[in-house]
Amino acid sequence: MTAGTLSAPIAPSDTRTGRRDGFGQLLRAEWTKFRTVRGWVIGMIVAALLTVLMGLFAAANVNIGCDINGQQNSGRGCEPYVPLGPGGEAVQDSFYFIHQPLAGNGTITAQIVSLTGEHVVLTGPQQATNNGPDMTAGLMPWSKAGVMIKENTKRGSAYAAMLITGSHGVRMQYNYTGDVAGMPGAVTASSPRWLRLTRSGDTITGYDSADGSHWTKVGSAHLALSSTVQIGLFATSPSYVQTSTSFGGSSNNGGPSQATGTFDHVSVSGSAPANNWTGEAIGGGGPVTGPGSQGGAPTGPLTQPYHPSDGRFTATGSGDIAPLVGDAQGAPTATVEQSLTGAFIGLIAVVVVATMFFTAEYRRGLIRTTLAATPGRGAVLAAKAIVAGLVAFVAGLVACTVALAVGVPMERGKGEFILPVSTLTEARVVVGTAALLAVAAVFAVAIGAVMRRSAVAVTTVIVAIVLPFLLTVLNVFPSGVANWVMRLTPAAGFAIQQSIPHYSQVLTASNVARGTYPLPPYAGFAVLCCYAAAALGLAFFLLRRRDA
Amino acid sequence: MQTTIEVNELRKRFGPTIALDGMSFSVQPGQVTGFVGPNGAGKSTTMRVILGLDAPDEGNALIGGKPYVSLRHPMRLVGSLLDAGALQPSRTARNHLLWLAHSQGLRANRVDEVIEEAGLDKVARRRAGGYSLGMRQRLGIAAAMLGDPAVIMLDEPFNGMDPEGIVWMRTFLRSLASQGRAVLVSSHLMSELQDTADHLVVVGRGKVIADTTLASLLAAASGDRVVLRTSAVSDATAVLQHAGASVAVTAPLTLTIAGLSPEQVVALLSEKLVPFSEVSAHRATLEQAYMELTKEAVEFRPADVTGESAEGALR
Amino acid sequence: MSEALHAEWTKLRSLSGTSWLLVAIAVLTAAVSTAAVAATHCPASMSCPVDTTKLSLTGVEFGQAVVAILAVLAISSEYSCGMIRTTLSAVPRRTVVLAAKAAVITALVMTAALAAVAGSVLAGRLILPGHGFTTARGFAALSLADGPTLRAAAGSVLYLALIGVLSLGVAMILRDSAVAIGSVLGVLYLFPIIIGLIGNEQWQHRLQRWTPVSAGLAIQATKNMRSLPISPWSGLGVLAIWAGAALLAGGITFRLRDA
Repeated sequence: MTAGTLSAPIAPSDTRTGRRDGFGQLLRAEWTKFRTVRGWVIGMIVAALLTVLMGLFAAANVNIGCDINGQQNSGRGCEPYVPLGPGGEAVQDSFYFIHQPLAGNGTITAQIVSLTGEHVVLTGPQQATNNGPDMTAGLMPWSKAGVMIKENTKRGSAYAAMLITGSHGVRMQYNYTGDVAGMPGAVTASSPRWLRLTRSGDTITGYDSADGSHWTKVGSAHLALSSTVQIGLFATSPSYVQTSTSFGGSSNNGGPSQATGTFDHVSVSGSAPANNWTGEAIGGGGPVTGPGSQGGAPTGPLTQPYHPSDGRFTATGSGDIAPLVGDAQGAPTATVEQSLTGAFIGLIAVVVVATMFFTAEYRRGLIRTTLAATPGRGAVLAAKAIVAGLVAFVAGLVACTVALAVGVPMERGKGEFILPVSTLTEARVVVGTAALLAVAAVFAVAIGAVMRRSAVAVTTVIVAIVLPFLLTVLNVFPSGVANWVMRLTPAAGFAIQQSIPHYSQVLTASNVARGTYPLPPYAGFAVLCCYAAAALGLAFFLLRRRDA
Repeated sequence: MQTTIEVNELRKRFGPTIALDGMSFSVQPGQVTGFVGPNGAGKSTTMRVILGLDAPDEGNALIGGKPYVSLRHPMRLVGSLLDAGALQPSRTARNHLLWLAHSQGLRANRVDEVIEEAGLDKVARRRAGGYSLGMRQRLGIAAAMLGDPAVIMLDEPFNGMDPEGIVWMRTFLRSLASQGRAVLVSSHLMSELQDTADHLVVVGRGKVIADTTLASLLAAASGDRVVLRTSAVSDATAVLQHAGASVAVTAPLTLTIAGLSPEQVVALLSEKLVPFSEVSAHRATLEQAYMELTKEAVEFRPADVTGESAEGALR
Repeated sequence: MSEALHAEWTKLRSLSGTSWLLVAIAVLTAAVSTAAVAATHCPASMSCPVDTTKLSLTGVEFGQAVVAILAVLAISSEYSCGMIRTTLSAVPRRTVVLAAKAAVITALVMTAALAAVAGSVLAGRLILPGHGFTTARGFAALSLADGPTLRAAAGSVLYLALIGVLSLGVAMILRDSAVAIGSVLGVLYLFPIIIGLIGNEQWQHRLQRWTPVSAGLAIQATKNMRSLPISPWSGLGVLAIWAGAALLAGGITFRLRDA
């Protein structure tokens, strides 16, 4: 040791920046740890590949055939015609319309005295009569009848309507997605309902009343209308569906239904002649049975479904005026996210790699070296979670973008109609699926830290995420229980993929296999995030308490 | 029957690395053969090849003239300990020995015998995951002795033993040899091998460098060197160098002389009346002999440690 | 060989986890079967096209996961702690080691499977008549004296044994427990989900015929035999092919690799 003056001790760097830099270094160290294990990198690449391949496989094997002019055809020529509403969404627009033109502003007022309905008989032998299939009495919850102002008689054109429904009372609906509730209760002869629609420029206001003199405003809609529009009465009724779930499968049995609305005191103020009514079935929405039934043929001439004597009208129609949320009327439709069904498989690979990312530390005591380098255990856990999550996110993003970009055109080329959604929604589906993989990876890292043994941890994570999904797809439980399972378990995160929103005015059973989930997208995703957060919390707690 | 291990011209590579490059030697019964070499010399690989765990690219290894894999109850002929940590943590030590015994058609009482011989009777029914290093080594020895084999192969058995354990192991190995078994022990602890082994196989870079008895190896490495302690350093140096020896000052008041026998040194110094307190023949240690032999073969050489440089100056 | 068997048996029985997993196989299978049976009713006015035997054997599709885990761990745990070398020093002939492991694991799985299937059938026999599946409506109480039911039950036991063999082979190839479990569970469960999600009927049919779980579970069907994608024993045969291929591949890699 040489004698001499001792130099001043080195001042410690500012602790705050030291910690921040320290975490940055830790992130870099964990990233190096990850990318230098060939097996893990390959695992993530495999996850991305599986996602893409599965989606493309499903898309490539769509086979839609149809009959065109007596010739068998397939592919693009067979794409069904699905009307689009003013907002761009796919819609159903089928109803019976008794209408006349309206130039400029005007009002229609009517009193509905009854709404009745019938639907096809499903069980037992079918009695085919000359008047159509055998029907039995039954009103659908969303059978509708009321007054409407519509741009024109083309399917998918803008409209606003005041209507009475089977079991949801009076409502104002417009442009397919808009729905506002009015007076509740069913309509009977003793308690009829009065409905009024007023057009003023581009604004249509709806009113209802119980007695015809005291009117309550229900809502107003701002539509893009030309100066001459169609104004009148309508009736429609969505298909009757009977779902029987037995273990291992559910079968939907269904058939058309029709509703008949009886209108009284119909008046149209404004510059329209009184008796210039045309009755027609829009989109095949005429009555199903009875006189004048057309059995679903497209629009046809007036055929006596209403009686214009003493101002009392009767309209009978079938179909629905609502957004299209899935296979309806026999037209095969697909959703954008169906090219991303492979994400489910990629998730398994991601989860295995992410779990091993942590449990590998416990093999041969590597955790001690790690903690000697970085004593902050929470920081180590956070760094690993971040690295795993980011890698999974990037892999998922690339895979989903490719799957969507290649799969959707492929499906279209095969004649499948993809329910249109906004670009923002498509982006949400893609980014959301990538985020789903990322959060699942974080969850897996946390469970790896909790369980420490890779076999147990991987099994736990797969059971937590895959098993509920599997149980639901296989209809293990009655639908009520299955819905709760898809709400409360980590598998709820898959809801982020749902591109077609849930509309309350359309009766949709949640069918995970077809892409409808009980929870809205972000809510479902939040459930998964809660599980990941809870797992991280538990891991943090245990990591700090345990010996290395 | 006397059983020997014969290793013939083994060659093996792992990818670009050559692990074994014509390894040949034999292990005779009735003596302890030390198997030494730098890291990466191929010791563990050779042992794995002998046990049929790794397949060589060329060459073969025979035990009593037969390959290991052809033996019906191999552990009754060869007892081996390659990795003391190769234990299922949740299984008890006794159960570990029990399944091994069953695989050789041995009975449970044999298990209890070896447990007692290894000194593990108090902890035999504890989970192996909780064992200390030393206990794991003893368990491994017990497993190797289950079949009362004629050949014993141990890979670094001294690792992790406390001084008492080392003494035990040394005595144990010597007794095995005196019972006529062939014992092959690999180790890095030169001091231990010096007192334990009769024969040495020194390997480096996948080949045998020396295959000789311990005594000859030490003798060859000793050279003729004399250590002299004296207060008159410069006088002694002058006298001895004048006589033709090379002299180095290896410590204050200590000289190391090469080229003269101890008697000659005593005679010269007495003649010139140079005072000295101690003259001794320098006995090489196994460590020095080994380092000399393997200095070419060392793959992973740390930076030179000073202290040896004076020795090196004499060569 | 008998010594190798004895050794493998001692190994497996001296691990506490083994008995837990075996119990879990039986309990999980019976529990899920009971849940399935309890959730199915036959309302008075409907003709229920339900295969009661297959319904009461539903738990098998979930118990197989535990079988897979057991078989994988029996192999992978030796690799993770390095004990495989000890095993091979004791029994150098690798084919013998593999055969002994396969035999012991299969025997254990089949024992648990017998309990599992018995419990499942019993649950069906006891619960279904009270849920509207009465003899009067054409549903006989489940009984093993009935030919097809016996075939379904015995076949399910064999099914679980084959799943065990399949998992063993995969574990032999992959060696790491987490990757092996992920792969086996993926092969078992993803194919049925894919089948459910694919629209294309041709591929659905193909996958139902040639993937391990869908084909293997055909052994459980006792009704609507004509509409099955593959006949019962042929389906089990497909699973046997998968299991045999996995075992063969595992054995080959085991023999060729260094320990």
